[in-house]
Amino acid sequence: MIRGGTRGPDEGAAVRADDAPHVSHGAGEAAPSLPRGRTRRHLGLAARVTTTFALGALVLSGTLASITYFSVRSSLINQEETSLAHEAVATAEALQGQSEAGQSVVFALAEINGNAASILEQAGQWYPSSQSVQESSVPAGLRSLVLNNHLGEQLVDLAGKPVLIVGVPFRAAGGPVAYFQLFDMSEVAGTLRTLLGALVLASVVTTLGGAVVGRWGARRALRPLRETAQAALSIAGGQLDTRLASDAYSDLAVLTSAFNKMADRLQERIERDARFTSDVNHELRSPLTTVATALSVLEGRRAELPERAAQALDLLSAEVRRFRRLVDDLLEISRLDAGLGDVNAEEVTLGPLMKYTLAAARYQGIIDIPASVGERRVLVDKLRFERVLANLIENADRYAGGPVRVAAEADGAWARIAVEDRGPGVPAEERERIFDRFSRGASGRRRGAGDGTGLGLAIVAEHARLLGGRVWVEPNGSRGARFVVELPVQPPVGPESDEPAAGSAAAQPPSAKSAVPLKSPTHGRRPSTAPAAPSTGASRVVQPPGAVTTAEPPASEP
Amino acid sequence: MASRILLVEDDERIRTSMRLSLEDEGYDVEETESGEDALEAHARSLVGQSFDLIVVDIMLPGMDGFAACRELRKVSSVPIIMVTALTDTAHIVAGLEAGADDYVTKPFEPKELAARIRALLRRARTTDDGPVSLVFGDLEILPEAGEVRKEGQEVHLTRTEFLLLCELAANAGKVLSREQLLERVWSYDYFGDGRLVDVHVRRLRTKVENDPSDPRHVLTVRGLGYKLAP
Repeated sequence: MIRGGTRGPDEGAAVRADDAPHVSHGAGEAAPSLPRGRTRRHLGLAARVTTTFALGALVLSGTLASITYFSVRSSLINQEETSLAHEAVATAEALQGQSEAGQSVVFALAEINGNAASILEQAGQWYPSSQSVQESSVPAGLRSLVLNNHLGEQLVDLAGKPVLIVGVPFRAAGGPVAYFQLFDMSEVAGTLRTLLGALVLASVVTTLGGAVVGRWGARRALRPLRETAQAALSIAGGQLDTRLASDAYSDLAVLTSAFNKMADRLQERIERDARFTSDVNHELRSPLTTVATALSVLEGRRAELPERAAQALDLLSAEVRRFRRLVDDLLEISRLDAGLGDVNAEEVTLGPLMKYTLAAARYQGIIDIPASVGERRVLVDKLRFERVLANLIENADRYAGGPVRVAAEADGAWARIAVEDRGPGVPAEERERIFDRFSRGASGRRRGAGDGTGLGLAIVAEHARLLGGRVWVEPNGSRGARFVVELPVQPPVGPESDEPAAGSAAAQPPSAKSAVPLKSPTHGRRPSTAPAAPSTGASRVVQPPGAVTTAEPPASEP
Repeated sequence: MASRILLVEDDERIRTSMRLSLEDEGYDVEETESGEDALEAHARSLVGQSFDLIVVDIMLPGMDGFAACRELRKVSSVPIIMVTALTDTAHIVAGLEAGADDYVTKPFEPKELAARIRALLRRARTTDDGPVSLVFGDLEILPEAGEVRKEGQEVHLTRTEFLLLCELAANAGKVLSREQLLERVWSYDYFGDGRLVDVHVRRLRTKVENDPSDPRHVLTVRGLGYKLAP
């Protein structure tokens, strides 16, 4: 930072001004230097808008602050330098005057200079005005410049303080004199530091302001999208009459009206399906009622019938029973499809629920319910739960020589109920398909067992889904199959409902629906909560090899 | 003497088959095909031998089963079983609100209907040998007389409501679960429909509580069941 005698462009400022775009450039690059794809994928739209706003504000405020700082700095220092140089030159001229009047420069220095820190060199000798000034304070470059009869100045750092040294050459008796005067620049530096602090603060505030504005703007811009998403969720949740307000956002009118049109059509269609189901329901139920009732009269009088007629009656009874089950199952499935099956959810204790259910299903094998699991409360529709367990027991009865063990275990928010058999098992490639409608699997193709409808497991899967859980099949050790139903365990509930059970449908059918959200009947796979241990089969670790995932667990149970 | 049952069903074949089935169970059955006819038959029966139980189909032309139930309830506390082809909650609750004591859904197992009828009839004959009078604040229950008085005034309860109240009164202060109430009042097993209890408790409250929305006597114990506050 040595400057020639004539004050040229302020190099320091020039260099720093160069720095300024550098700084902001660096910041501008900070974000793009992250892996780009990752940023795109992981940042939401709102976050990206917010970041962009913040970066923009940072670049802008940083640039402005830098320009402000360096122009203030250069003008302040220039001004100071000019006046200090004048002062030094004046002192030098005074010294020269004294010297011409015959006085020794060294004495004159002591006389004139008062408190100023200065040092002069004459004929290789240094004469400081005070002890604080030393020969070594003057940089060699400046010294040689002045000795070559140029006016020179340099900003140096002396003991941590910024000091401006101005060197003035003059002639005096006894040879040319190089006069150096030292000026403390601390005050200017302090002013600049304060300014810098204020500018940095302003930049930070502006950046934050940008982020806030960006976030607010993004949220505002995304609001229609959020509302649309909520409406879609609400429709998916069974509120078919949900619509978007068509006049809320004029520039999104196309989207709104398209969405509403879609919802209209969907509702129409679902209602038509529901009506059809209900009609079929009624049309099938009436004749079946007559058939079943008339048949019961005949059964009551079986003893009065001739042998052959009694035999025919038995056939008729068996087939009517099967037909009834088939109709029941079909209607149940179609009601489930139409989203008509309201969940009559009650909070019950798992142990008794299972015991009663198994007793009702006439199950006589091993029941393994640890006390800690049996005490857990579940929010279920008892009748659906009964259907699930009864169908699984029946399935084992029909295709695997009967269930041998029913076990319950709990894992965090989930209870798992397993029905195990020692039958032929379910081949890996059939473990998902077995829950499809009318799919009986290889072993099930033997129709000998008679009155299976082929819908039992499909109904199990649907009910499990409606109960907020899922079902899958896995090998039971080396032999047999193990059907596992996973259901959410209920956390304690609040005291706001009138009915004893949490989601009693009797009081408010819609609340029962929301208690166990009805999901669209997609068979999406949800991330398994089961530990990913190798399925040795014999272990109790539940790892569905071909898990049929029936539902996503409700995001938050009430 | 055989119990008399009034059967209200518009579908002739179902009606006939039900009559045959019920007659085989040993009941004396009278058939009607509409709600209006049912009310008339019921009014007529009051002169002679009144009906012990009424089985009503909900989907009737003209006056439907709900309306028929409501009309019957105005003049009688006879046990009513409704028969419906619809199983959704709203429908069933509406039937129970209209005054039915129990329900079966088509196509019902004839044995199931017979069991429901037996349970309601057996219950109707039950004589309590408990205390003569139970007092709960402004409420007085006379189990033997089959009467309930509120501030001295007699309150008209159906048989089911009365038994429900007696059951809660016999266990005053204790919580009875829906399952227990279903078993004791309706003779259901564990899988009886809890909505039966809920709806009847609501109906009972409208009769014995000053403010049914803020009950003082028949209290809900959340997650557990109901109890009668002393």
